[in-house]
Amino acid sequence: MDGQLLSETFVELTDTMVADFDVIDFLHVLTDRSVQLLDVSAAGLLLADPRGELRVVAASSEAARLLELFQLQNDEGPCLDCFRSGQAVSATDLSTEAERWPRFAEAAQETGFAAVQALPMRLRDQVIGALNLFRATPGPLDPVGMRVGQAMADVATISLLQERNMRHTDALNEQLQTALNSRVTIEQAKGKLAERLGLDMDQAFNLLRDNARSRNLRLSDLAQAFIDGSEPLIGTASAGGQQTFGGSRAPVRPRRRPRPGPPKPGP
Amino acid sequence: MVSRSGRVWGLIADQARLRGGLISATDACAAAVAAVEVTGAWLSAARNAEAGYLIAATNGVSERLAELELTLGEGPSLDAATAGAPVLASDLAAAEYGWRWPTFAQAALAAGPVAIFVFPLRIGAIRAGVLGMYREKPGSLSAIQLGDALTVAEIATLLLLGIDGNGHNGADSGTGPGGQPPDLARHRAEIDQATGMLTEQLSTSIDDAFVQLRAYAYSRDLRLIDVARDIVARRLRLYPSAGSPLDGDT
Repeated sequence: MDGQLLSETFVELTDTMVADFDVIDFLHVLTDRSVQLLDVSAAGLLLADPRGELRVVAASSEAARLLELFQLQNDEGPCLDCFRSGQAVSATDLSTEAERWPRFAEAAQETGFAAVQALPMRLRDQVIGALNLFRATPGPLDPVGMRVGQAMADVATISLLQERNMRHTDALNEQLQTALNSRVTIEQAKGKLAERLGLDMDQAFNLLRDNARSRNLRLSDLAQAFIDGSEPLIGTASAGGQQTFGGSRAPVRPRRRPRPGPPKPGP
Repeated sequence: MVSRSGRVWGLIADQARLRGGLISATDACAAAVAAVEVTGAWLSAARNAEAGYLIAATNGVSERLAELELTLGEGPSLDAATAGAPVLASDLAAAEYGWRWPTFAQAALAAGPVAIFVFPLRIGAIRAGVLGMYREKPGSLSAIQLGDALTVAEIATLLLLGIDGNGHNGADSGTGPGGQPPDLARHRAEIDQATGMLTEQLSTSIDDAFVQLRAYAYSRDLRLIDVARDIVARRLRLYPSAGSPLDGDT
């Protein structure tokens, strides 16, 4: 495990007190770092909305996101069990889990995943969601990795619940609804960008996010501006940061301070 | 979830029956009073981040609140529309709200309301308006009331965007029992991605793209989610056409 990246990750996961904190971006950091640090192939995250209904809010890949959705649609799977029990749920070999999750086990294997671990996002009695870790090969998940994964989920949960003077549940509910709506906006923007540039949804998302990061913008603001047409994202197809941006008005405000970009190899 | 949505739809249908018309967003506004146990409610339609124009109010005080925001240029509806987040102001007399809306908070208190809850009516970047509610006593909504309020707001959004409970008017044909629109949240993402893709295919705005997506599904008696999946998988493209019905191609 990359110790340097690990400590940077924990710092990132406590960094919610910025004025322009973006929940979706924050949770994507959690899923991406899970993949980088925990020897898993993909990660997905479900959060409960104020009605207690689970929603997919972040995933490290489109495949993981679809598999999370699949669990919701079929009302079965490790993430749901984990959320309902508040306990970690693990399956080291999905080919033997046809009884526990008949539809999920099949769909996960078709997607190329052989093992899964779901970790609760909880603070004391309150379970707000679950983090799902998928692996391509069967076998027990590394116990040290799982402890680190749970620690990351715990830190992220605490940070979320304390974000911005979360004095009462009203503030948390306002925040959650905003996050869920941002998620929808981001999906719409992914579709628009994918169609414009002939990309798949993963590529479209990465492009949107890299663009937001390199320009120090909030992902959800950029997505909104791109859909409104005030942010054309011209030149996003070209690599190497050769981007030109039209639009007469400044569509999105810059973030107050940069969030660390994708991890770079150490010296 | 399903039972909650069914119960709320029932309250909305009651209002339409009382009024003697087809189910509309006005009925969602009226049903909010019973569903959420508030004193009054109002509904404004807007296509951008403004307070919009009032299309329904259950009493004079609700109307007054909506009017105050327009006059003063500040208040919870404007904040909800701008931020895209609900505003749950459980006690307007609290210092917090005096800071946030110096004139509005005073004027609203003078008119009677003490707690105001406003929900933006949005599907991602698609904006339909806001649904506001007030009470004359301070206090937060309970978890159940908040859930019901969100459900009323979700339905009001669909009704404002032209999906009615009877399945008419370009309605989504992937309906649940009784012709109700489906629980969109469950297969959100493909529908949202397809809507985004259609803005490019049809060179149109996001709200129009959503209308066209639903119209395509409805006119062919297909489930919205199936059409969306075909578009996302690039098995289906829609083309701009001068008149309706839309022409798609596989």
